[in-house]
Amino acid sequence: MIATIAAETFQALDPAIMEFPFERNYVESIVYVSLYVSLTAVALSTMVSLPIAMLVGFAEFPGKRFVIALVNTGMGLPSVVVGLAVLFLVSNQGPLGTLDLVFTKEAMIISQFVLATPVITGVSLAAVTGVEEGVRDAAYAMGGTRLDIALVTIKEARYGIVTGVLAGLGRAISEVGSVLIVGGNIAGADGTAITRTLTTAIQLEARQGRFELALVLGAILLTLVLFVNAVVLRFGGGRI
Amino acid sequence: MSGRLARADQRSLNDGIAVSNLSHGFDDAGVLEDVSLSVESGEILAVIGPSGTGKTTLLELLAAFYRPDDGTVRIDGTDIWTLSERDRLATRRRLGMVFQEANLFDATVRRNVSYGLHVRRGWRERLREWRSRLFGGSRTPAVTEALEAVGLGGAENQAVASLSGGEAQRVAFARALAYDPDFLLLDEPTSDLDPRNTAVIEEAVETARSRGLGVVVATHDMHQAERLADRVAVLIEGRLIEVGPAERVFTDPDDPRAQRFIDGELVYSAGENDD
Repeated sequence: MIATIAAETFQALDPAIMEFPFERNYVESIVYVSLYVSLTAVALSTMVSLPIAMLVGFAEFPGKRFVIALVNTGMGLPSVVVGLAVLFLVSNQGPLGTLDLVFTKEAMIISQFVLATPVITGVSLAAVTGVEEGVRDAAYAMGGTRLDIALVTIKEARYGIVTGVLAGLGRAISEVGSVLIVGGNIAGADGTAITRTLTTAIQLEARQGRFELALVLGAILLTLVLFVNAVVLRFGGGRI
Repeated sequence: MSGRLARADQRSLNDGIAVSNLSHGFDDAGVLEDVSLSVESGEILAVIGPSGTGKTTLLELLAAFYRPDDGTVRIDGTDIWTLSERDRLATRRRLGMVFQEANLFDATVRRNVSYGLHVRRGWRERLREWRSRLFGGSRTPAVTEALEAVGLGGAENQAVASLSGGEAQRVAFARALAYDPDFLLLDEPTSDLDPRNTAVIEEAVETARSRGLGVVVATHDMHQAERLADRVAVLIEGRLIEVGPAERVFTDPDDPRAQRFIDGELVYSAGENDD
């Protein structure tokens, strides 16, 4: 729906912008690739991050501080380095070479997953450890199992966790370096995006001097992020 | 009763909670030492003593929060730490506990009070419950009844954030009653409450006793212990120095330190030695 609105808005703009070398659904396909890659990566990251945050938050094990330091370091990972590492991983010589993932959406998902996971884990960890011990004690005293107590903790930390997921989505969707390296910014022969995202398209259009189009794509990106924030704010009861 | 007998409650109950020679500590610091006491169904035992003397640790051991360093915790004659995890869970679910703080979940009153019932349901039932809540929800009689018992009938849909401190503690009490436990463990349940809220909770405790529940209430409020308890145990510096019928402990305790504590002359802080 957003992609359609974006495309219609785009068509209503200055005819100069419409001097456009691609098909009509070019913008739609870019929005689709951006959303597909980022949302899939963030969904996978959340599934991995939450159990890690619970485990690191509440279990005592040797090397726990090291793991926390690792997570915090990961929050500042340079995206081009991640892109390079993932490219090595999926290239012909890499351990995942047989899967033929170079310049595919799947490779982009892997790189965004690597970038988003430390962010979601770090913020979720802070949120779950911030839940008062008394609340967990109450759940235990009422006959809760370990799983019940974990669910109560997640529920109590929900606003913090959602903030973490949003931060992860922000990191993923606004990312340029790694998706450019592993995705290749490819548009197909039919003029639609294959691995081109909003960010890589903005970079391309700006480089080719089509600043108006780059600005329009930037506005779409901002609108998307704003829309996601508004949805979360609505369901979070305005508490974020 | 002789002084020796008054310091140890060695009843081995087949219908109640009994701890024997219980010792426990944290990080090499002893908190409880060689404590033996019991409470049977339909009885209120008050554990009195100054703050920091081990009352909370004792209640947490009764509720199986952790395994004691030494000694046993028996419920209806069975040592809970010899049970499998599954059986211990079933035993734990016979207990209700109220803490000094309300410790409510950030949800509605109903969600809080129904939590004990919720965790006792299988996943399929939980899913059905979730679906029914999504489409308007149905009332659970046990939740309504528990809230009415603490004078909060009709508050089911209120958010806990809108409750006063006294109301929150009453919800915490209703939460422990809703799933119909056999025993209630109350840790200073009214220490932060005004007289009106205190009276409501005390009335609910007496009702629970009349329904046959065994109640252990830890308190430093001597008047509350005198009003409520059938039996009283005096805990000083992690040691049980006196236990017996409330009337006798308050009027003629065997241990002079118990008398001094009851008279308000003996005030301990954690780590301080007596005498």
